[in-house]
Amino acid sequence: MQIQLNHLMPIPLQDKLRQRSSDIWNREVTFQQGSFVKIKAPSGTGKTTLIHYLYHIRYDYTGQVAVNGQPWPSYSKNDIARMRQQEVSVIFQDLRLFEQLTARENIILKNVMQGKPYYPPEKIADMAARLNVSHILEQSGKTLSYGERQRIAIIRALVQPFQCLLMDEPFSHLDEENTQRAAALIAEECKARNAGFILTDLDNDQHFAYDVHYHL
Amino acid sequence: MRPFFDLLKKIIQTGVGKTRFLMAAVGLGIAMLLILIAIQAHTNFSQLLYSSKNQNETADFLVINKTITNAMMGQSAKSIFTPEEIANIRKQPFVQAFGVVTSSQYKVVIQAPGDLHFATDMFFEAVPDSFLDVKNEDWKWNEGDRTIPIILPNDFLNLYNFGFSLSQDLPQISQETVKALPLQVNISNNQVSDQYMGHVVGFSDRISSFLVPASFMAWANQKYSTATAVGTSRVIIKTPDPSNPTLVKFLEDNGYTTNQDKLKFSKTRMIVQTIVSVVGFFGLILLCFALLVFSMFIQLVIASCKREIQLLVILGTAPQQLQRYLLKQFVPLYIVVGLLSLLLLAALQYWTAAILAAHQMLISPWPGVLVFAGMAVVLALVYVVNWLTVKKYVNNI
Repeated sequence: MQIQLNHLMPIPLQDKLRQRSSDIWNREVTFQQGSFVKIKAPSGTGKTTLIHYLYHIRYDYTGQVAVNGQPWPSYSKNDIARMRQQEVSVIFQDLRLFEQLTARENIILKNVMQGKPYYPPEKIADMAARLNVSHILEQSGKTLSYGERQRIAIIRALVQPFQCLLMDEPFSHLDEENTQRAAALIAEECKARNAGFILTDLDNDQHFAYDVHYHL
Repeated sequence: MRPFFDLLKKIIQTGVGKTRFLMAAVGLGIAMLLILIAIQAHTNFSQLLYSSKNQNETADFLVINKTITNAMMGQSAKSIFTPEEIANIRKQPFVQAFGVVTSSQYKVVIQAPGDLHFATDMFFEAVPDSFLDVKNEDWKWNEGDRTIPIILPNDFLNLYNFGFSLSQDLPQISQETVKALPLQVNISNNQVSDQYMGHVVGFSDRISSFLVPASFMAWANQKYSTATAVGTSRVIIKTPDPSNPTLVKFLEDNGYTTNQDKLKFSKTRMIVQTIVSVVGFFGLILLCFALLVFSMFIQLVIASCKREIQLLVILGTAPQQLQRYLLKQFVPLYIVVGLLSLLLLAALQYWTAAILAAHQMLISPWPGVLVFAGMAVVLALVYVVNWLTVKKYVNNI
């Protein structure tokens, strides 16, 4: 899955963004299939906005986001749904779990969305064990701490097929040890699928062997 | 899709406003029952009217003439059908066969033979043979024959036997005797008078007139008539259904009249048809309301889970999946309601058939094919309306 940005510019931020230089905004950028991309951005420069544009849930921009050569708006709702089930996965900064479901159900929701389960239950249990969340799997989403939710959201993003994983500050509420574990799991899963990712964060880090660095 | 739909069940709460939904389902059931009853009543009525089990012969014959009013008295020309009027009657959809009743244009006197001392002035009429209910080999006349076959109305013999003969102290006569009597028929105009033999070959219940073969009538009218040809004042039609309201209305509109007894079923039928239509109409109105409530309920469910549905779509749930899930929540109930009303109707029909059978009115104890078709149409309509509503609101999210 290849994503191309063609002079992408968020309408609400354009005055502010024109006054500073950026590797992403208002440029021609191509994210190649399978590459690990890190986008470093200070607060307020449109990090989350960019992820939302790439995932096509916000549309207030000028320019173009093209996926596999076609701009997002040219895909039908059912096409977009199919791509979100098969080609692109996401970890939102605000996590977006269902509070009425348990942690396990939140994970399974994506595991079975495209039809038959992508991973067997043992694999999910294994992932939960690696991120130290096995004990909270049966708790409802409402009662989890933010760090626990973040790890559930990470596992949820990994139990579906994808070629590109979008991550918006995925480790913001994790301690160093859990961050390492999560990063290792993500890298492993990406390698297994031959997939790449685009990760946005505030600072520099060594969690992954990044192929490309951008400054937003 | 099962595990996914199980999770959707926890996310999309369809329990909101469930009482309203169940009441709408009851409404749908009643609506469907009313519609099915209307259809079934129609089928039953048709069976009573047309089924060979309930009738000895399906078609009926009506002799039609213009109503004689006080204003017309003394002007016999006014009771004659014009060629346009005849053509108009002929082309009506309820007319299966059409014939004119030809009247004699000469004087007829009939005398009983021997010393019975019975003589009477008479007239003859003729209709095409296909309209006769008397089949007899002697019913034919060729030029040169001196014997004229005659058909008398059954009523005529009855009037004589049970009215006239008793009051006059005369003997009653059997049909066989009348048929055996050689009658002397005098046919005359103002110039000539000829004698023929008359032979009664049968008695008609259908046509109240003195009938001779059409061939004789044509010949005699030509031979004895002094006037120019007189028009037709009575016609006979064959109709599959004398209770057909169109027929009754046609007669009324044109000022024609016929044996009213044969038409009386028409009134009953119109009343039943009106009741059936009203029942069906209320069924349809109720169905519309039920559909409206279902649509509003679906809208309510989707609106109350708007945030959840939005997140599901963001996570990659296809609108088609959501539509299928939502329809799956509602449609089984509709089918159950449909089957229940069908069962109820079947029971009603069985019961009705039993009651009617006691009165020698035979209808099928099973619901008719139209009822099943009607149910299928109503269910299809409910499904389509639901599908469109779900589609509309899911796509709006």
